[in-house]
Amino acid sequence: MHATIQKPIQEIVRYIKPGEKVFVVGCNNCAWKCHSGGEDETKNMARRLEKRGVEIAGYSTPGPQGMSLCKLDHTRKVLMEDYADPVKKADSFLVLACGQGIHTVIDATDGGMVHPGCDTIFGGETVSETQIDEFCSLCGECIVEYTGGLCPLTLCSKGLLNGACGGAENGMCEVDAQRECGWVLIYERLKKLGRLDLMLPYREPKNFAKWSRPRSLQVSPEEAIFCSQDGKITISNQD
Amino acid sequence: MKLNTYFDKIGGFVITGEVGPIKGAIPRDRAVVPRCAQEAEFLHGRVHAINVTDNQSAVMRLGSMAACVGLKARGHEPIYQLTCRDRNRIALQSDILTAYSLGMDNMLFLTGDHIRLGDHKTTKPVFDLDSVQLIKMAKGLREGHDIVGNEIENPPDFTIGAVVNPNFVPLDLQLMKMKKKIDAGTEFFQTQAVYDDKIFDEFIKKAEKFGKPVQLGVVILKSPQMGTFMNKNVSGITVPQEWIDEIGSVNKADRKKKAAEMMAGFIKKHKSKVQGVHIMPLGWTDIVPDILEQAEIKINGVEG
Repeated sequence: MHATIQKPIQEIVRYIKPGEKVFVVGCNNCAWKCHSGGEDETKNMARRLEKRGVEIAGYSTPGPQGMSLCKLDHTRKVLMEDYADPVKKADSFLVLACGQGIHTVIDATDGGMVHPGCDTIFGGETVSETQIDEFCSLCGECIVEYTGGLCPLTLCSKGLLNGACGGAENGMCEVDAQRECGWVLIYERLKKLGRLDLMLPYREPKNFAKWSRPRSLQVSPEEAIFCSQDGKITISNQD
Repeated sequence: MKLNTYFDKIGGFVITGEVGPIKGAIPRDRAVVPRCAQEAEFLHGRVHAINVTDNQSAVMRLGSMAACVGLKARGHEPIYQLTCRDRNRIALQSDILTAYSLGMDNMLFLTGDHIRLGDHKTTKPVFDLDSVQLIKMAKGLREGHDIVGNEIENPPDFTIGAVVNPNFVPLDLQLMKMKKKIDAGTEFFQTQAVYDDKIFDEFIKKAEKFGKPVQLGVVILKSPQMGTFMNKNVSGITVPQEWIDEIGSVNKADRKKKAAEMMAGFIKKHKSKVQGVHIMPLGWTDIVPDILEQAEIKINGVEG
């Protein structure tokens, strides 16, 4: 999931020009789980903005709970058909969702003016209803086969691939004494799994071309085509 | 002179010091000597080489390369430190070639302190490579090719040094990294600062099996406040309370004398187990000669 947090309301208000009519759009999946842009927060944002003198054209959190804003065809239908009238009146859209959701609204509204209502902070695991943690950096080339499923690029502050730096103390990271050293975590896990041998081989430098931006993916039941600066990679989903 | 020339000698004991480049530029007025060069003067003829740090503690300063060139011109043997924190693999390789071209015979490759520890906390940390990959890449340059396999002209020739932290828990994890650094091309190690006899003994007993020269690393403890500060702020180093109490047992005026005595005592106790000592004086280079004298070690075969 894409973890998001709302921007401070004062900052959002500064984005909006006097007289600008704003339509607030939320996301009923990730932003709902983050309480940054679900149905309640979207409705509430409209109210909070109105209280501060902003004219609200309407608000919507397209689809049922679990439906992502970034599903373009659905969002387009909701905004351009179900909410056609208020959307027509709107000068801009305040999007309470991740950056992908913001772009979805641009696409769905044929180039509408958007304001970010959230900061997209990371892709994470929903550990509990109140806790989301980052375990993957979306790098395009997974290496956790060699690290017991724990990503050193994400869990090590320096993203080292060949083991810990010398900075940790009592197993805690030099960057944050409250957080465990990612490599100590990997070491302890591999030790428990009886696979410390995986720590020994040299690991090549990362291919950052696969972590280039922007990347794209074409999908079908048969195959996936991943495009990055590393080129076009076709993967069979069936073979 | 390449440091492995000394390490390779039977019974070769290599002494190195360390200076940190100034926060600023080298003055055009040659009469003004930068502080790091002044500090290095005390080490002249007393050490085989002097480490020059690379934006140490992630605090932006004069480049290690410029300071190395300056020290070389003054007759010192610098060890060019290079970290992974601020450069991608293009810049790292280019800097290695440049450093060699400017006369550096010795290079020490490190991960680098994280930017959160320094004075530019919002910058982008690079860490394109880790220290093991950097060492392997440096060795590749020496062998005549860059990291992507392209041939290079006039391959450089320098001794490859690296760092290991005996204080690390679990130690085995650090030793695995040490082994990887050796396999990648490391020819000698300097340890992070150690103060604890037991910790060092446990480390060296295991590390000596690798058969690579290890220099005992010591940071001169200048005051009890510094010990407390290091325990709180310097990553990977622990100063035992006895050390803090001992340096605090004398008044300020006598601290240099006391520090020299403490450091010398520690070095003397462990010198037979290592192939050298790396003294990090943090400005107190003036007491290094006294430390070496009291520890009963000196350089042999180096012109003063």
